[in-house]
Amino acid sequence: MEVELSNLSKKFGDVVGVEALDLDIHDGEFVAFLGPSGCGKTTTLLMMAGIYRPTTGTIRFGDRIVNQLQPRDRNIGMVFQSYALYPHMTVFGNITYPLKLKKVPRQEQQRRVEAAAETMGIAHLLDRRPAQLSGGQQQRVALGRALVKEPDILLFDEPLSNLDARLRLTMRGEIRSLQKRLGITAIYVTHDQVEALTMADRIAVMNLGRLQAFATPDDLYERPPTKFIAGFVGNPPMNFLDIEFAQENGTLQLRSESLELGLPPEFAAAAAAADGAVTFGIRPEDIILDDNGPVSGEVFVVEPLGRDDLLDIIVGTEHFLLLADPKRKSRAGDRVRLSFDMTRAHFFDPRSELALSWK
Amino acid sequence: MAAAGALTNINTDSMSGRLLLALRNGLLAALAMALLAFVFHSLLRPVIGSALVEETLTITLSRLFLVLLPIAAYLAAGTAVRNMEERHKALILALVAVSAVYALVVGAQAFLGAGPFAPRPSLQFSARQTDEGILVEALEAGGAAEQAGLQPGDIVTAIRRDQVTLTELNRRVGLAEDDDPFRLRYIRNGEQDQLTVRAVLQSGVDYSAIVTGLVIALVIAALSIYWPGRTLPYILLAVSLLPMVVGYLWLIIATFSYRTRGILPLDGQGNIGGLTIENWGFLVGKDIAGLEFSIWQVTLNSFLLAVMMTAVVLLVSSMAGYALSRMSFAGRKFFLSFTLILHGFPAVTLLIPIFFILLNLGNLPLIGDLIGFNTLGGITLVMVAFDLPLGIWLMKGFFDHIPWDMERSALIDGASRWRVYREIVLPQIRPGLLALGIFAFIGGWNAFLIPQTYSIGAGTVNLPVFLNELIDETAPVDWNQVAAVGLFQLIPIFIFFVFAQEYLLNIYAGGTKGSS
Amino acid sequence: MQANLTAYGFMAPAGLLVLLFFFLPVLIVLYLSLTNLASANFTSNLAEMEFIGLRNFQTLLNDQFAKKIFFNTIFYVMSTLALFNVTAALIVSLLTAHINRRAGFVFRALWILPRITTSTVYILIWRRMMAEAPFGIINQVNTALGWPTWNYGAENPWVFVILVNGFIGISFGMIIFTSAIESIPADLMNASLVDGSTYLQRIRHVTLPLLRWPLLFVVTYQSLSLLTSFEQILLLTDGGPGLYRTEVWALTAFHRALSNYFGNTQWGYGSAFAVVLVIIGVILAVVYMRVFRFDELVAEPRIEVL
Repeated sequence: MEVELSNLSKKFGDVVGVEALDLDIHDGEFVAFLGPSGCGKTTTLLMMAGIYRPTTGTIRFGDRIVNQLQPRDRNIGMVFQSYALYPHMTVFGNITYPLKLKKVPRQEQQRRVEAAAETMGIAHLLDRRPAQLSGGQQQRVALGRALVKEPDILLFDEPLSNLDARLRLTMRGEIRSLQKRLGITAIYVTHDQVEALTMADRIAVMNLGRLQAFATPDDLYERPPTKFIAGFVGNPPMNFLDIEFAQENGTLQLRSESLELGLPPEFAAAAAAADGAVTFGIRPEDIILDDNGPVSGEVFVVEPLGRDDLLDIIVGTEHFLLLADPKRKSRAGDRVRLSFDMTRAHFFDPRSELALSWK
Repeated sequence: MAAAGALTNINTDSMSGRLLLALRNGLLAALAMALLAFVFHSLLRPVIGSALVEETLTITLSRLFLVLLPIAAYLAAGTAVRNMEERHKALILALVAVSAVYALVVGAQAFLGAGPFAPRPSLQFSARQTDEGILVEALEAGGAAEQAGLQPGDIVTAIRRDQVTLTELNRRVGLAEDDDPFRLRYIRNGEQDQLTVRAVLQSGVDYSAIVTGLVIALVIAALSIYWPGRTLPYILLAVSLLPMVVGYLWLIIATFSYRTRGILPLDGQGNIGGLTIENWGFLVGKDIAGLEFSIWQVTLNSFLLAVMMTAVVLLVSSMAGYALSRMSFAGRKFFLSFTLILHGFPAVTLLIPIFFILLNLGNLPLIGDLIGFNTLGGITLVMVAFDLPLGIWLMKGFFDHIPWDMERSALIDGASRWRVYREIVLPQIRPGLLALGIFAFIGGWNAFLIPQTYSIGAGTVNLPVFLNELIDETAPVDWNQVAAVGLFQLIPIFIFFVFAQEYLLNIYAGGTKGSS
Repeated sequence: MQANLTAYGFMAPAGLLVLLFFFLPVLIVLYLSLTNLASANFTSNLAEMEFIGLRNFQTLLNDQFAKKIFFNTIFYVMSTLALFNVTAALIVSLLTAHINRRAGFVFRALWILPRITTSTVYILIWRRMMAEAPFGIINQVNTALGWPTWNYGAENPWVFVILVNGFIGISFGMIIFTSAIESIPADLMNASLVDGSTYLQRIRHVTLPLLRWPLLFVVTYQSLSLLTSFEQILLLTDGGPGLYRTEVWALTAFHRALSNYFGNTQWGYGSAFAVVLVIIGVILAVVYMRVFRFDELVAEPRIEVL
């Protein structure tokens, strides 16, 4: 089922929850809403579910405008962060509940619940109560309950954030493959960018109630359209630095108090568009420890991440984060030399925060 | 002024400084109590106009402060030195300080002629209690009794027609004022006669009182250092509960005996004994004097009232509580603050107008016979209404704690608000329903004032009202029978008390649970 | 709009009862106090009652007994409140918080017995406590100790009126104070312990300051309860012995309008007494809501459907 949000806004009193949101979601697509807490992503989801009434705008499922429809008439399934299982019912009772409300015949109920339980691998748990289940099992029950009524759209509200890291990893894959197999349109709210990047076909990044970008994971990572997205997507986060462009001996250069670097010619357009100060961004993996590198700095902090060491390096008065091979055994106070892969540099207008490099 | 300054800036590092601090605190406490006693005793009545103030009340309060005066003073003196490093030094200081405060208090009493130095009314003869009466042993020369003509060897038996013992005589004399006459009956040489002795105020010092006072002072000083310790709180708590415990004990003993003196059961001869289960005969159909119908009818009424009230309170307050907690609608804020105001409002002040409401409800067609004046339905509705502010507020609090997602999930699953309330939300607030249910049941089962006020017919009488009728009879009250019915009425209460203390403790704070 | 209708459906039963037994009665009692309704001209039809303006209140102001009852009430409320509902309650909750948790709970539970015992039985017990020798329990103790016996009911009824109500009143403050004491962070107590403070210092500097709001709440809430409740006095002394010796304001309203011994029931005049309490009640109830910030608990719900 296609979903179309147009000019969707939600105000709580004077507080703006979501403002003028426009979004087209294709049939069978997996879309993630990504953003920090309070950015309006859950509010948008609850408006789609029918729990909140939009202040303005329309929500269209397929060719129906659903603004005035009750949640029960929208044929959606939803999985919550807290799972929201009914503690006084057994697993079987939980999964049947939507069917009971739809007045599905008893035998049909039985058949569908068993099928859903089979799919989710919880057939042996049907007699238990939610309190007797592990977090992962509860999550599967919640998913089963959402799927059993064969919804047109599946809504997820941070469904994995209460699980431990390993379980989260396996559930990610399961949800994704299930969704692809059933071909249901899925909308998935999360604040975890790794989840969004690995699961979604497209990601809607939101901040302060506004849509920042709606693009594929690759596009968001490689060509972030705003400084917010550049900083939010990617871990460790992108390094930012206030610089100015300069022309010296016919080559383009980047200058700050502590740094002077040459730039490839493809940034000429960006430089021309800039007006004075510019924000320069570079991802940690694009700064390389290189004994012949043009920039010298000093290791300030070493944070071992296991596969990599995260180094905080001071260049002049600026700090840069970068990843290094643990075999180097870097230590605080080490003098190092760096080279920057300037082909992968990003530039943003410091006032509008829009990217200058990607038009 | 310099002295005052010295008193407020006491250097507490030195022993003498601490002693001074203890003395100061003790005296300040004594002064404060004396002032309060004085206000109640002498100032209040003239200021307000004596006819308007119940004298026994003010005098009692002033006495209370006089009794508290030394205790407060010693405690204040003792605790002032409590926080010293070394316990024994603190104890010595406290004892010294309290003795000094005591000396000052006694000195003040000597100066004012109060306490042990106060002149006491006396008939000026000494006597002892014998089997026949009060045997006069010696007379004070020229004293009141001698002047009246009493002689040693006389046996005083009564004041006017009241038989008295020596303690009773002493009590009456102690309460007398100067020159109050006492018409004593006495037996001299087998002849009965009477004469009038006029009480005189006799000065003298009650040394035993002074010594006793000093011992008490020193004990309090020691306690103030070692307080509260391990056992003292238990003792204090147990002693404070003693009246209740003894009272319930009497109730239980009385139901199993023919008659009681104090808490002792007595048989026909006045000896301890005479136990019986006859008082419980009403359970198996024995008539209770003054009751024209079966006790089971009354019990059934009580039970019906309690059950109906519980059911209606639970239903109505959970519905309203759910709407206030979970729904947005025009006027919600108004309803909420109105509920809160009602929660603080004393409904019992509305008994008079509700009488008229019930009279008029009774005139309604069809339902009038169910909910009007003098119907169980009407009484139930009034009691439900009185419990609603608490009930709604409590239910709302419980609903507030249910995760929103659970309800959203049910709505998305296809439930209506009514089904969400019934099938999803209500089952989750069972503890709240239980607490409010117990509260309502106890309220209905114990209901006295409202059934008493709004019923005149037999059909609506419940156990508490019936008990009151038994006590208010003009005929001599059979206290043991009353006790048995009372204990019978208390059985469900005791059951709730044993099994639901935690709920009771929470809900009898008005559901506030210390929030505020 | 359908959302409103569903919500009003849920609110309707409560709303109707509140309308019938709170809202209308307040209006009716105001109206009754301006009529001369008595047994002689009784009618339950409000329109037929005779309106006499403020004359009931004039009578009340000139009533010598009303003055005595007024002062009775003031003394009764203040002394019960000061001695029991606040002081004794505070002491009980401090003591029970000091001892073993389980034991403290048992003692607190015992203290609610007076509150949950039926008033008639509770008063029955007290009447036997204060009865004359040789039947009374207290007098039995007096006799055993060789002390004089008293006829407490006749000689000092106020002591028992205050005791009877005070024993019930302790539990409310006790529960409020205890939950306040228990909510004091253990860290705060430990910090104060480490500082080397004594038990009394901890009470003075840690416990009591944090009890300020609960104290204020108990004082205001309980003074209103004491001011308006009269069930126990009705059963214990019925305002006697003698003329109005233990009569309080709320009991007078009841006596005048609903339970007149002489058969001359004065609904109008009784309502004038009740109106005074109703007005005090409304004012204090509004004050609680403001002072104790109950209104801050009013948050908007987070489901908007239906």
